[in-house]
Amino acid sequence: MFGERLQILVSRDQRRRLVAEAKRRRTSVGAVIRDAIDARLGGATSEQRLRAVADIRAMRGGRFLPPDALDRVVEEERDQAIQTDHRRRG
Amino acid sequence: MSFFLDANVLIYSAVDSEYRVPCLEILEAVAERRTEARISTAVFEEVWHIESSGRAGRIGGLAARSYTLFTPLLPVTDEVVARALALDAPRLGTNDRIHAATALVNGIATVVSADAGFEGVSGIRRVDPRDERALHHLIGS
Repeated sequence: MFGERLQILVSRDQRRRLVAEAKRRRTSVGAVIRDAIDARLGGATSEQRLRAVADIRAMRGGRFLPPDALDRVVEEERDQAIQTDHRRRG
Repeated sequence: MSFFLDANVLIYSAVDSEYRVPCLEILEAVAERRTEARISTAVFEEVWHIESSGRAGRIGGLAARSYTLFTPLLPVTDEVVARALALDAPRLGTNDRIHAATALVNGIATVVSADAGFEGVSGIRRVDPRDERALHHLIGS
């Protein structure tokens, strides 16, 4: 979701490269710029994000636990970490 | 409209149940930048804990994929901790108080979660992933 408008000046060569890349990817110049911002300043590219969702969709073998059971798993993991730390400290 | 995702949305996107399809729809909308959803370092840690424990079955790699989708994560700051301590939310556990406070500190009023405990938290609207109408309003499909 994009709500911020940014007006920037680029050189003729930069524009040529942006347009060529957009054509290659079959997307817009804006999308190429947004991906470049994400790649350079933190965040993943659209290709990486779409791949991540595809990987999650392909996951099999998970086991459903209701929300309160998930909370308990996290609490138990933390309790174990605390107990291990106490044992190590003697 | 920006919204905050609880860890169970990420977990449920990877395991078969009535939650899986709507949770995957949310993640797809995020990946395609049709909507703006955020998670925090605390939510990421919960997903990683649950994945590593093996208690939710074979969901290896879910935390890493979640990071790819949601980086940069919202931080849990001193301000978040102070807000969490001050929350009037008797039904929420400590983790969920941190999540609610993270949302509030970042100006986010909607938390998508399968956990009804978020209801009744002042300033927060909880959306269940199974609530088609509310969900489609959030992700624009």
